[in-house]
Amino acid sequence: MSIQHPAVEAFERERRRLLIRQRTQAAVGLAIFSVLLLVSFQRSQFFGSEIGGDPLGRMADFLQRMNPGLQADLLLEDRQTRGSLHSWFYALPIWLRAAWQTVEMAILATAMGSFLALGASFLTAQNLMPFAPVRFVVRRILEAIRTLPDLIMALILVAAFGVGPLAGVLTLTISTMGSLGKLFAEINEEIDPRQMEALQAAGAGSLKKIRYGVMPQVLPNYASYALIRLEGNLAGAAALGIVGAGGIGLELQRAITYTEFDTYLAILMIIIAMIFLIDLFSEAVRHRLIGLEKA
Amino acid sequence: MPRQAYDQALNIAPDALRAPWTRRARDAALLALALAALVAMAIDLEMAPGALMAGFGKLGRFLGEMFPPSSGGQSERILKALAETFAMAFAGTAIAAVIALPLGIIGAKTVVSNPVLHFVFRRFLDIFRGVPALVWALILVSAFGLGPFAGVVALALADIPNLAKLFSEALENSDPKPIEGVRSAGAPPLAVMRFGLAPQFAPVATSQTLFFLEGNFRNAGVLGIVGAGGIGFELDERIRIFAFDEVAFIILLYMIAVACLDTLSRALRNRLA
Repeated sequence: MSIQHPAVEAFERERRRLLIRQRTQAAVGLAIFSVLLLVSFQRSQFFGSEIGGDPLGRMADFLQRMNPGLQADLLLEDRQTRGSLHSWFYALPIWLRAAWQTVEMAILATAMGSFLALGASFLTAQNLMPFAPVRFVVRRILEAIRTLPDLIMALILVAAFGVGPLAGVLTLTISTMGSLGKLFAEINEEIDPRQMEALQAAGAGSLKKIRYGVMPQVLPNYASYALIRLEGNLAGAAALGIVGAGGIGLELQRAITYTEFDTYLAILMIIIAMIFLIDLFSEAVRHRLIGLEKA
Repeated sequence: MPRQAYDQALNIAPDALRAPWTRRARDAALLALALAALVAMAIDLEMAPGALMAGFGKLGRFLGEMFPPSSGGQSERILKALAETFAMAFAGTAIAAVIALPLGIIGAKTVVSNPVLHFVFRRFLDIFRGVPALVWALILVSAFGLGPFAGVVALALADIPNLAKLFSEALENSDPKPIEGVRSAGAPPLAVMRFGLAPQFAPVATSQTLFFLEGNFRNAGVLGIVGAGGIGFELDERIRIFAFDEVAFIILLYMIAVACLDTLSRALRNRLA
């Protein structure tokens, strides 16, 4: 039955060798992964006794405390009646004001960060900045900003600028500059050079070349990236409040300090709604921009 | 000479080079309006120039104090915290991937073909997609107590809806031909999954999970601020007492670790792609 042919035998040998190599690689990978996983669970005290013996019970207890205890017949009663919507969202005007502050922080930071990123992107694009050392230095600065987590930057800025939205806006501005600067530079490097050449031939200076030769090509793409970043900045601004940088995050922190878990849930719902609305807005505008670009 | 030609053209036929004044006026008005709105927001947030200048002065002093960075003789403790941060990120990502996988399968259009169910499920995931890990961590620390456990769960909670969405998209984008091929050879459903779907799906899913591991390592570094363990706790403590040389040491160490993990993970992802 078996076919004795040197070519077939060689093929079989080669196949077995490959198979063994593949399986060894998979086994080694799996072993490394398992060890890492075990050590991680151990290090992060996932099965530690400090969780308090009964994590599921605590979770259930905690969910219970998050329940605002709404009662169908009392929903529209006033603030003093436990079980009404009003007593659950008892500080709604304050929370909405804080949520609006968070939106303002995100918009301001996105606008200022995009503006700075615009400048940085011209300094790092190979085709627009002929002087290599400048490109190198600005690129390294942007990279450093991207590596540093926002919240660590926020901690230092809160220490310097005090508790309040100012530190949050500055943090998000700097981090927006870091991420958008890179993306904008990539857009700049992909432009059609002929339009700039035409302007150069007509005798336009560098500023005019950028204004009429580069801007019309890149602005729609810039705007679309900036809008995506706005979505991220809004979530970021909500989190920054927790470390003292103003906005709705401060209210979350307050709810936790007073262990009002049902209040936490209410504020969390406001945050989710806020992020959802901004996403819808940004998506609609981006689709319009892409449509304009194609037209 | 060319410069003159440009100016001449501008004089002879200004409209050929300039937009009509109505449009320019409208653009200028819109720009002014946008700027005014931004200024109004800045005023509303009480971003006073005085506070800005004072803050920059302080920040300059802090930055000056950062050099030379110093471990403060606690490098062992800091390294332990760094390891704990990585452990939180790794465990959180692993848990998120395990839970996101079935959710991703349910969310794939090719698996659950009922459009209403599909829409409802996807929207449900979308609701939680934007909630940052720190927001979860803050409340989980209250529920589970101080320590990295709350951090692990917070990272997992923040990742699950995002990973599930990416997993279902990867499933939807997989090529049906290998699956049909295996099925037409008479393979049972499990073998169809193993040899038709898994070879397409596994590399994409693994690479996405690795990408989330990188992100989680960055996020895990700050969860300590609310008491969820790791390097963030050490950082927060030292910023509070203005020990900026030690802050600089921790940040530098952490940034190097982040860069190492990014490089390693990118290499792995490139091999998978």
